[in-house]
Amino acid sequence: MTGRSGGPPQLRLVGSEGDAAPAVPELTRRDTDWAILMAHAQDGDRSAYQRLLREITPYLRSLAARRHRDPSDVEDAVQDILLTVHAIRHTFDPTRPFGPWLVTIANRRFIDRLRRQGRRRNRETPLMPEHETFAEPQSNLEETPDRHELEKAIDKLPPMQRKAIRLLRLNEMSLKEASTASGMSIASLKINMHRAVKSLRKILGDRSEP
Amino acid sequence: MIATPDLIESLAANMKPVRRLRPPVTRAACWLLLAALVVALLAVSQGIRPDLAQRLHDPAFAGGMAGAALTGVLAAIAAFLVSLPDRSRLWLILPTPAVAIWLSNIGYQCLAQWISMGPNGVSLGETIRCLATLVLTSLPLSLAMLVMLRYAAPLRPTSVTFMGSLSVAAITATALSLFHAGDATLMIIMFNVGTAAMFVGLGSLFGRRMLEWMGPRSDIRN
Repeated sequence: MTGRSGGPPQLRLVGSEGDAAPAVPELTRRDTDWAILMAHAQDGDRSAYQRLLREITPYLRSLAARRHRDPSDVEDAVQDILLTVHAIRHTFDPTRPFGPWLVTIANRRFIDRLRRQGRRRNRETPLMPEHETFAEPQSNLEETPDRHELEKAIDKLPPMQRKAIRLLRLNEMSLKEASTASGMSIASLKINMHRAVKSLRKILGDRSEP
Repeated sequence: MIATPDLIESLAANMKPVRRLRPPVTRAACWLLLAALVVALLAVSQGIRPDLAQRLHDPAFAGGMAGAALTGVLAAIAAFLVSLPDRSRLWLILPTPAVAIWLSNIGYQCLAQWISMGPNGVSLGETIRCLATLVLTSLPLSLAMLVMLRYAAPLRPTSVTFMGSLSVAAITATALSLFHAGDATLMIIMFNVGTAAMFVGLGSLFGRRMLEWMGPRSDIRN
């Protein structure tokens, strides 16, 4: 087994039907290592198997990243391949290179995944963020026109009232906070707030009360 | 979703030693041995057709039969090779020459018979016994191949079932022409082609699903 580490030409990391990876010596060495680890794993060596799976995971992830854009898809695909490798690990022949074996399994799993996704996309519509409802007024587009109208109405108010309503209602400060922020007394804030609401009702046409 | 490092941990923790598969050609030879056994048993129980020696002198008949038998052998070898992930898919074209010999001879026979007999060559005489041979040959062979190639389910189910069906069909056709006299009738010739078409069709329709059902579960516990 170890006699093969000299790098004979048949050790290549090129899938029989997959994307060709550049055949550099580093990959050849890695391929031999993986083949040896897999041979040990087939004989029941757990630590070799664990090391093999850990070492091929980043490689599989880089292969998956070429096919899938969504990171969670990439991770799902990697796990799918790991499970398949586990299920058919007895089909690996240690006298043959490991790379093509792995790459073919990976490609088949990618193709199956993409086909499945394609079928699903044809009959399902994903729930997108825009389908959801949020309590935040900013995310509810329908209220934006009202908001512009209100802003315009507030701009027309006298400065003291404008300041009171901005601090107390729009910035949602307490009376005490608003008082320290503006330098106005609490009593003055209360009066100006009351007057501001009254004037706004007049400006906006009093839609809230009959 | 389970995190990938945890998955690796549990796969390694639940791992059992496995027996490596024997070389694909050896396994194909085992399957072909089973096929030979089935055909031999049928020969004992049903008896070889009386005029076989005489018919074998007819080059068209002999060629057709040799083509069918060769197709069975080559397609079986191709199925076992293609089922492995690290073998080239080009093995799929291995049985092509044999298929060409088989089908061209059937075509020639068909034409010759048609000219000599006309449409009256079609008779229903041996149909039922032919059907029995067909089922008795193909069923055990299909099941055996399904079991032997179940690991191919997550890999190349379609190509593997196609090759497997072709092999079973060719062997069944060989058995049919060994046991049933009256390939003078167009019926038997049609049977040859019909069997092949039926198996390849059934294989591509259900083979994938059957393989997935029999195939190894991608399960952490297994």
